[in-house]
Parts: sequence; structure tokens; C-alpha cells
Amino acid sequence: MRRTFLLWLMVFMIIGFFATFAISFYVQTVQAEENGHSLIQLRIEDVKQQLDINIQNLEDIRTESDLNALAKVRALAKMVELNPDIIFFDEILEDIKVMLEVDEMHISDAEGILIGGTEAAFLGYDMASDPQSAAFMPALTDKDFELVQDPMPKGINKEIFQYAGVARIDLPGIIQVGYRPEKLALSMEVADIKNLAAGFRVGKSGILMIADEDGTIVSIGDTQYLDKSLEEYGFAQGDFDDPEARSLLATVNGQKSLFAYEDYEGYRIIGLLPADEMYLNRNSTIQLLTVFNLAMFTVIFILIAFLVQKKVINGIYQVNDSLQVITEGNLDESVDVRTNAEFESLSDGINTMVAALKGTIKEVETKIDAELYYAKTIQLAALPTRILETGEHHRFNVKGSMFTAKEVGGDFYDFFVVDKNLLGVAIADVSGKGIPAAMFMMEAKSLIKHYGLTKISVSEVLRKANQSLCENNRANMFVTAFLGIIDLETGVFSFCNAGHNPPLISRQGGDYSWLKSKAYLVLGGMEDIAYCEQDIFFEPGDRLFLYTDGITEATNSAQELYSEERLLKTINRLPRDMPIGDLMLAVKEDVDSYAAGAEQADDITMLVLEYLGGKTWKSQES
Amino acid sequence: MEITRIIGEDAITIAVEGRLDTVTSSQLEQEVSDLFEQEKSNIIFDFASLEYISSAGLRVLLAAQKQVNALEAEMRIIGANDVVKEIFEITGFSDIMQID
Repeated sequence: MRRTFLLWLMVFMIIGFFATFAISFYVQTVQAEENGHSLIQLRIEDVKQQLDINIQNLEDIRTESDLNALAKVRALAKMVELNPDIIFFDEILEDIKVMLEVDEMHISDAEGILIGGTEAAFLGYDMASDPQSAAFMPALTDKDFELVQDPMPKGINKEIFQYAGVARIDLPGIIQVGYRPEKLALSMEVADIKNLAAGFRVGKSGILMIADEDGTIVSIGDTQYLDKSLEEYGFAQGDFDDPEARSLLATVNGQKSLFAYEDYEGYRIIGLLPADEMYLNRNSTIQLLTVFNLAMFTVIFILIAFLVQKKVINGIYQVNDSLQVITEGNLDESVDVRTNAEFESLSDGINTMVAALKGTIKEVETKIDAELYYAKTIQLAALPTRILETGEHHRFNVKGSMFTAKEVGGDFYDFFVVDKNLLGVAIADVSGKGIPAAMFMMEAKSLIKHYGLTKISVSEVLRKANQSLCENNRANMFVTAFLGIIDLETGVFSFCNAGHNPPLISRQGGDYSWLKSKAYLVLGGMEDIAYCEQDIFFEPGDRLFLYTDGITEATNSAQELYSEERLLKTINRLPRDMPIGDLMLAVKEDVDSYAAGAEQADDITMLVLEYLGGKTWKSQES
Repeated sequence: MEITRIIGEDAITIAVEGRLDTVTSSQLEQEVSDLFEQEKSNIIFDFASLEYISSAGLRVLLAAQKQVNALEAEMRIIGANDVVKEIFEITGFSDIMQID
């Protein structure tokens, strides 16, 4: 149970560990992506702000620059009004140009044809001939006309150049100055998107880039990608298809990155954050969590295992040990585990049960003992005790004795007078023990005696007894039996052995030896068995010793059998003229001393027939 | 006592080891009755390692022999030692059983 419990505990712990790991991983991943996304969004906002600031700055500078230019051209107009002739004096104009810090000065007539200025090459140029210069044409008719044009590239080198103009005051015409707006150019440079992205980073290694509406990169830190398309940089077709996808993980330029973009003021601002950096925090957090969880789960596992062992398993083992003792038969053992209420209740329950069991066993034992006693009494009562001869001569001695085992056995002996000259002796042993064996024995005994008294041959007695015993013998019981009938007048002894131990015979005070007898099948074993009898002559003084296997199969402490050999030796050691009752007692004593206190397992039954001869005729006590 | 059952092609061999007495013969009885619950089969009792047989053991053999006769199968006892063989002789079991 303990192993199973710990196994399951471990399984759940491992599941718990991995579940915690998975959840932490998921949460940390989402968090990391959220953080990464916020970081990019923040940078994009910064870029947007910088774009706004740049545009605003540019406007401020332009306004100032425009006012400045206007002031200069007004001053020139005033000078021309005061002295119209200066337009024809190049040196004066050169001086004024230097003074005003401009690069070009132009004065036209009423038709818009340049008639004076610092650039001799432009004299005669018709202002209406080009859209850029034509913008100043309204000054011919409007005295209050003022215009500062946007800076624009000019000439071959596309230098940024700006023109400002007003109406001529004294005559109809246009007064115009041109100059390089250096401050403005500088701010435009700053405002230039191209340089913007280089100033921003996302995290440590993330970058920003700006593309125009055509998907061309117009601003990026790494200048090799400038003016390249987003595809060339590594974006896949479709990365920007879904304007709703605010944040995506994609492999860009060979690096897995989180990216976000926003379209602003005609530009697409894109922020990229490498996945490695984005997950850096998550990975270190997960590592820490894993180590911590591993330690925590191990501690919890050990703690639970320890507690279960201490609070439950030990108690169970204790109860089990006590139960083992009880099962082995010691009903005096009591269970006393009081570590907690449940075990207390279990202990009390077991103790109560054992007590009840003890009571019941005692009751049953008493009852069985009584029944066995009655059965034994009946068994013993069925045995003959004495035999009364009808004549005057003392022709034989016969005596039987039975020492029952504790359990009722199935041995019996019998002797009966068939008629005045015929005496039957029998010994038998029923297979098995207990009441069934005792009952079978009673049946066998009465059958043998019944048929024996009908004066039929010994073999016929056994044949008939066998047939009767085989009927309805469902328990497959059987009985070994030796039956002999002696003609007291002639000494002829007819016998038949149905599976019984061969008897011993002593001829006229000589040594005992086995009476050679053909062994037939036990009675009750199988139907239709043919038994044959054998005849021998008894001389006066001959003794026949019948016994059951309770003697030969008595065992000592080493489980060794008493054996036929020992029986033969013992009986031959005893005096031949010993009274037959004493002879049986002496054999029993030897068996007892062999068994040396071991409980007698089987009935020990003996019968001795002593033939004294055909002449004497007297009553015999058995 | 140890009982081993070996299922062969023609017969089922039941090898008995130790002592077959009142207590242990009920085990053999169970084993044999289990066997007869299945289809008709020939039985071989291998008594090579049997030290002793009591009347309770003989009863089981007798029951088995009757059953085998009824089923018209065959039963053989092999390997019995001299002590056991003598018991078969004395009880007349050797007349009705095939003891090799």
C-alpha cells in the first residue's frame, strides 16, 4: 500500500510540477510578448513625437526665415525707391547684396522683364516664362504684394535655394532676392526622416525603421538597407496585410522577432525586437521557478511520505503484526494502536471481534467435545468385550484392544461365535477420520458380522460386504479388513485379507512372522471384486496377532514411521507365554515410547487369537 | 507437500512431492476434481517424490480411478517408491490400478 501510495503521490507531484511549469511558461511568454509589444509601441510613439517636433521646428524656423527674407527684400525695395538708379550700378548692388546677406537680387520692369540685378546672366529674363518665377507676377499690379517661396533645389547641383519678392514702390515692377537658407537646410536635414530611425533603439538590440507608402525603407540605422524595399530587408509578403495584427512574431532578416508597425503621416513606422531579447527575462524567470518548484515539490513529497508513514503506515503494520499473531492462533493477542482516533476505533473493533471469536470457539469446542465423546462411546460400545463359549472345553483365547486417537477414528475389531465350533475374528480400519469414518465403520462392522453369521465362506462374506458398502458410497470411503474364521475342532483357519496389514503369526511359542496372505482390494473400493480365501491349520499354542496401521504408522518427532520391522522386533522380544492382554499392552507401551510424547494420530487397535486345541472347552473372559 | 501439474499431449501428469496424509490429501483431491471438470483426459500420478501415503490419500486415488473408469480414460501411477508400492500391494490397489 505504501509503495502504491508513494507512486501515486509521485505521479501527481510530477503532473503538478509540469502543470506549474506550463502555466508559468505560458504566463511569462504572454507577459514577455506584452512587454515587448509595449516597448515597440513606446518607441513608435517616440518616433511619432520626434516627427511632430521636427515638423514644428521646421515651421518655426521657416516663419522666422520668411520674415527675415521679407525684411531684406523690403529694404531693397525702399533703397530702389529712394534711388532708382542704383539698379544700374553693379558695384552698389554688390555692396547691398553683401550687406543684406543674400545671394541674388533681381529687379524687373512693369512687364516682368529683368532689367537689373546682381546676376548679369539673368538680365532680360521674363519672369512669366517659368512657373517658379511667374508666382511673383502679381506684384506688377498689386503694390502690397509680398511672397516668400518654399525653399527648393536649384541648378545643376540642386542646391536648396529660396526666393522672396515684393512690388517695386516707385514704379511698377518686381523686387526679388534669392538666398541659400542655410539654417533652414540644416533643420530640414534634422527633420529629414532618413536620419530619424538611427536615433532610436528598441530595448538593447531592437531597431526601428521607417518606410514610405511604397514600402521603401527611408530611414534605418543600418544604412545598407536604405532605399531598399521591406521585402529585401526580410519581411515576408503578407506581414502587413492585417492592420489589426498589432503584434506579430515573424522571422525577419533571419532572426525571429516581435514586430509592430503603425502608419503615421504617410509613413509606416516599424519596430523590431529580437525574440532572444524578448524572452531573455522569461527564460531566466522560468529557470529560477523550475529550481524553486523542484525544491518545493521534493520537500512536499518527502513531508507527505513521512507523515503518511508515521501516521498511517506504521499503524497499519502494527495492526497487521497483531493480526498475524491472531491468525496464527493466539487469540490472546490484543491490538493496541492508539496514534489516532481511527486506529483506536480499529483496534477496539478487532479486539471485540477476537473476543467474540474466542467465546464462539470455546462454545463450539465444548459442543464438539461432547459430540466426539458420545461418538467415541458408541464406537467403543460396539466392540465386543467378552465371549462366552457354549461348551466345557477351553479351546482358545481371544482379546481385542483399541486405543483411540483424540479424533474419532474408524478402527474396529470383532470376534463372534458362528456356531459351537466356528469362531470369527476381524479387524478393520476405515479410511479417514471423524464422524463419517465412525459411521462407515459401524456399517462395515455390522455387515461383516451379519454375513459372517450366515455360515457362508469368508470370501463370500467379504464379497457381499463389499457390494453393500459400494452402494451409495459417494464419499469414496473404504475399509481395510481382515476376516478369519477358525474351526475350533479341526484348527482350520480360513481367512481373507481385504487390503489390511498382514497379521503376525507365532507357531507354538516360536517367533512371530508375517502370515502370508494374498492382498485383495479394500472393501467399499470398487464393486464386483472377487475375494478368495486361504486356509491354514492352527496347532495348539499358535497365536495370531492382528493390528491396524495405527501401530506401524505411528511417528516419532522426526516423522519416522514405527514400521513393520520394529513391530516384529518388539513382539519377538516379548515372552511367548505372556497373557494376550498384557502382550497388547506391552506393544502399545513400545509404540508410546517410540512416539515420545507426540500426540497419537490414529487409533491403535490390536486383536490376538490364541488357539489352545480342540479338546478344552470353557468359558473365556476376553 | 507440493503438487505440480504438467499438461502433456496424451495425459495430464500430477506430480506429488512429500507426504500425502489426511491434511494434504484434500489438496490433491481439489487438484483432481479440478481436472475432471475439464474434458476427459488421461491422468498420470507421478509419485517419484512421494514419501508416504495415508488412507486419505488412497481414498483420493480410488475416487480418481472410479472417475477415470466412468469416463473410459486411463490412469497410471508411476515412480512410486517401495514404501508406497507396498501400501498399494497391501490394500489391493495394485489389482485395480495400473501401477508402473
